[in-house]
Amino acid sequence: MSLQALAEVIKERLGTLAKEVRIAKGHVEIVTEGGRLTEAARALKEMGFDHVKSVTAVDYPKEGKIRVTYHVSSYLKEDLSKYIVGLSVDVPRDNPIVETLVPLWNSAEFFEREVFEFFGVHFKGHPDLRPLLLIPELAEKRVLRKDFVVREEGIYEGVPHEYK
Amino acid sequence: MMVLETLLYIIAYPPLWQVIVIGLLGSFLTAMIAIWFERKAAARVQRRIGPYWASPRLGGFLNLVADMIRYILQEVIIPRTVDKVPFVLAPVAAFVVSIMPIAFVPLSPYEKFWPVPDMQYSLLIALAITTVPPLLAVIGGWASNNKFAVIGSLRESYVITAYELIFVIAVLSAAPTFLTLNVLHIVEAQSPFMWLAFLNPIAFLAAFLAVLMSTSAFPFEIPESEHEVVAGPYTEYSGILYALNMGGAYVRRFIYAVLISLVFLGGWAPYVPPSEGPLFAIIVPSIIVAVKALIVVLAMSFLRAVYGRYRLDQALDSAWRLVLPLALIGLGWGIALGLIM
Amino acid sequence: MSISEGTIGELRAKGVEVKRLEREYYEIFIGPQHPGSGHMRIIVRLDGDIIVDADPDIGYVHRTMEKLSEGREWIKVTPLVERMTIIDACNVTLPYINAVEKLMDKRPSTRASYLRVLLCEINRIASHLYGFGIFGVFLGHSTAYMWGFGDREVFLELAEILTGTRLTYTYHIPGGVRRDMPQDFPQMARRAVRYMRNRMAEYEKIFLNNPVIVSRLRDVGVISKTRAAELGIVGPTLRGSGVRYDVRLNEPYEVYSELDFEVPVFEEGDALARTLVRMEEIKQSLNIIEQAVDWLEKHRDEPVIAKEDYEKLPKLHKELYEKTGRVKLLPTQISMKVPPGKAVARAEAGRGEIFYYVESDGGVMPYRVRVVTPSARNVIVFKKVVPGHRLMDLPAIYGSIDYFPPEADR
Repeated sequence: MSLQALAEVIKERLGTLAKEVRIAKGHVEIVTEGGRLTEAARALKEMGFDHVKSVTAVDYPKEGKIRVTYHVSSYLKEDLSKYIVGLSVDVPRDNPIVETLVPLWNSAEFFEREVFEFFGVHFKGHPDLRPLLLIPELAEKRVLRKDFVVREEGIYEGVPHEYK
Repeated sequence: MMVLETLLYIIAYPPLWQVIVIGLLGSFLTAMIAIWFERKAAARVQRRIGPYWASPRLGGFLNLVADMIRYILQEVIIPRTVDKVPFVLAPVAAFVVSIMPIAFVPLSPYEKFWPVPDMQYSLLIALAITTVPPLLAVIGGWASNNKFAVIGSLRESYVITAYELIFVIAVLSAAPTFLTLNVLHIVEAQSPFMWLAFLNPIAFLAAFLAVLMSTSAFPFEIPESEHEVVAGPYTEYSGILYALNMGGAYVRRFIYAVLISLVFLGGWAPYVPPSEGPLFAIIVPSIIVAVKALIVVLAMSFLRAVYGRYRLDQALDSAWRLVLPLALIGLGWGIALGLIM
Repeated sequence: MSISEGTIGELRAKGVEVKRLEREYYEIFIGPQHPGSGHMRIIVRLDGDIIVDADPDIGYVHRTMEKLSEGREWIKVTPLVERMTIIDACNVTLPYINAVEKLMDKRPSTRASYLRVLLCEINRIASHLYGFGIFGVFLGHSTAYMWGFGDREVFLELAEILTGTRLTYTYHIPGGVRRDMPQDFPQMARRAVRYMRNRMAEYEKIFLNNPVIVSRLRDVGVISKTRAAELGIVGPTLRGSGVRYDVRLNEPYEVYSELDFEVPVFEEGDALARTLVRMEEIKQSLNIIEQAVDWLEKHRDEPVIAKEDYEKLPKLHKELYEKTGRVKLLPTQISMKVPPGKAVARAEAGRGEIFYYVESDGGVMPYRVRVVTPSARNVIVFKKVVPGHRLMDLPAIYGSIDYFPPEADR
C-alpha cells in the first residue's frame, strides 16, 4: 500500500468525519472538527492504528487557533506500520478544550499531559491531567505558545556593574 | 600492694586481652584485609586496578587506613528527627557485641594461656551472642525515623528469622557427632584430619550460606540494597557511626568464619600445640585459625564480583525451602555420625 | 494484586463504578536524590512489599528544547537536540536532519548515508553497553557495570576517530555529513568488531546465564504483545514483547534497505527478553558496521555531501575537503531558509523509535520542532506495568526498559 492509497482508504473510511485528508511530507494529515475527534479516532483505531506516537500542538496566534495533532501508527498491522497518520483538530486559543483520547489510546496519556502544560489545552475526561515536565507555576505560563518569548541571558547578566 | 595487684589483674585479665588484642585488633585487621581483597579481586575481574595510589607497593592496602581516618574525622550528622539514644548506641553496641563471641571460643587448648577453653557450653554461648547484633541494626534503623531505613530494618528482620535458625542448626550438628558442646573438645576430636566439613559437608554448606545471608554479602545483599532503599537501616548514618555499621558487618563475618573454622575446619588441626612456651602453644594455633577464617571470608568476598543480588522473597524462599532442610539433613547426618562413631 | 490509578481511570471512563478501599499505604519517594532513580522521581505506594501504585514524576532535567529550537537557525538545532541523549547523539539528531531534508527536497549522497549508518550503529552499541552497565549495577552486579562501561569506551574512541569527538558529534548536515572517515578507519573498526564479538560470549557467561540474574529477571515486568501495542512502548522493550517493529525495517531510512541485518524479537515480554534483545542487537550492529565499512572502502571517490552542494563549494573549501576530508560550512548554509511545510521523520535510536515533527514557515528558524524520544514513550511502563510487582523488582524493570531521564525530559 502506498501513501496515496492509504490516504484514499482513510478518506473513504472517515467520510464526513474528516474535513480534509491530504498527504504531507512523509505522512497523511487528517483535519477534523472538535466534536468529531473521538469518532474519527475510533474509526482510525478500528482500521488498526493502535498507538499514538506523539500528541503535537502547534500555536498559530494570527489565526487564533491551536492545532492539536495525534500522530498515530500501528504496531500489530505490518502494512500500516510503515506510515504515520496525523489526526488534527483545531481549537480556539482562548478556550482550548479537546475531548481526551486516552480511553481509546492509552499511549496518549503522558503526551496529553505535556500538551496541557505547554499550551494550556484542556483535555476533557483525561484521568490524570497534571503538569508533567514543568513545575505548576511555569506551566501556568503556557511556555510553548508563541507569545511566550524566551529571553536569553546575556554574557554579563547578573554580573555586578563594576566588573563589566 | 593489694590494690595494685587487683588493678594489674583487671588490666591483665586474660579474657579482656582476648577481646581487645585478638578480637578488636585482629578483627580490624581481618576486616581490612577482607575489604581490600574484595576490592582488589573485584577490580581484577572487572579489569580495573582497584585501590592503588595510597601505597602502590602494598597494592593500595593503606587506602583503607586512609578511608578509616576519613570516616573517623568526618562530621557525624545526627538528624533532628531521630531517636537519639538508640540511634547512637545501636551501631556502637552492635560493633562491640559482634566481637564478643571470640571471648568464648578457644584459640589454644591450654588453660594457662587461655582461661576460657574448657567451658562446657562454649559453643552455645558463642552462638547465642552472634544473634544479638542484627537486632541492634534493626533498632538503629527504626530509630532513624526514615522510610528507607524502616524498610531496610524490616528486610533485615525477615532475613534474621530466615538465616538464624539455619546457622544454629547447622553448627549444632557438630554436637551429636562429637557428643559435646564444648568447642575445645570439638576441635580436638577433629584432629588431625577428621574435619567436620569432610564428615558432614551438608551442614558446612548450610552454615556457609547462612553466614552469607546474615552478613548481607552478595548474592544476599538485600537489607542494604542500594537501588531501592539507599543504604537500608544505615541510611541516616554518617561518619564514624556509618563506619561502625559497615565495618561491623565485616567483623561479624570474620567472627562467623572463626566459628566455622573451629567447628568445621578443625581449628588448629593438623597442628598439635605443645604445652610449653607461649609462641607454639597459643600464637601459632591462633594464627592457623585466623588464616582458615580469613580464607572463608575471602571466599565470601569474592562472590561480590560474580553475583548480583536476589530478590527478598527469592532469598527467603530459598532459605526456608532449600537451606533449612539442608541444615536439618546436616543435623540428621550429624546424629547418624554420632551413633556410628 | 492491586489496581493502579490509571487503570481505575480507564474503568471509570468505561462506566464502571470504582471505589477505593480506605487503606493506608506506605508511600516512598524514590528520587530525585536516590542511588536508584536517576534524574527523576518515582512516587511509589507500597502495601507491604508489593507496589500498589507508581507515579513517575519526570521533568527534573527538562531543558525546553522544543521552545529553544524555535529561536535558532535550522542547523544550530542539531547541537541542541543531541544534548538530550548525549550517549546516543547520532541516532537522535538523524531524524531531525531527515525531516529538514524532506522539507528541502534534498537527498544525501550515498557515501554520506553510509557514514551516517556507520556512526549510528557505533552509537547504538555504545548506548546499549551504557544501558547494560546501568542495568547491571541496578541488580547489584558491579562486574556487568564495569565491563559495559569499559567496552563502551572502544566504540566511543571509534566514534572519536570518525568525527573528532567522543559524544556530541553534530555530524549530520542537510545533504551529508561534516567529515569523511580517515584512511585507516576500516582496520580499526574491524578490530573493534572482532574484539566485541569475543566479549559477547563473556557477557553471556557472567551476566545473562548467571542464575541469580536470570531468577531476578524472568517473569518480571511482563508486557504482552497487545499490551505493548496499547501502551505504545518502543525499542527493545517492544521487541522483547514479540512485536516485530523496527523503523530500520518498517520504514527504512538512509541505506538500511540495502544492508543485511536481522531484527531480534523475543516473545516472552519479560525483563530478561528485553535484555536479550539488546544483546542480540549489539551483534547485529557489529554486522552492519562491517558491511558499511566494506562499502565505504570500495567507494572512496564520492563526496560526503550532496553532489549539487559539493559543486557549489568555493575552491578553498574544496581544497580543504580534498586534503582533510572536512566539510566547512558556508555562511549561507547556516542562515539557510527552508521552504514552508510540515514533515515528520523517525529513526530507530538505541532505546527505540525517535519521532520528529518539523514545521517551517519559510524562515531561517523552525516554526515548530516536536520531538518524542523513546524514553518519553516508555515512561508509561512505570505507571502501568510496575504496580503489582515487588519493590525490589522496580530497579529490574527500570533497567530493563533502559530508561534514560534526560532523554525523556528533553
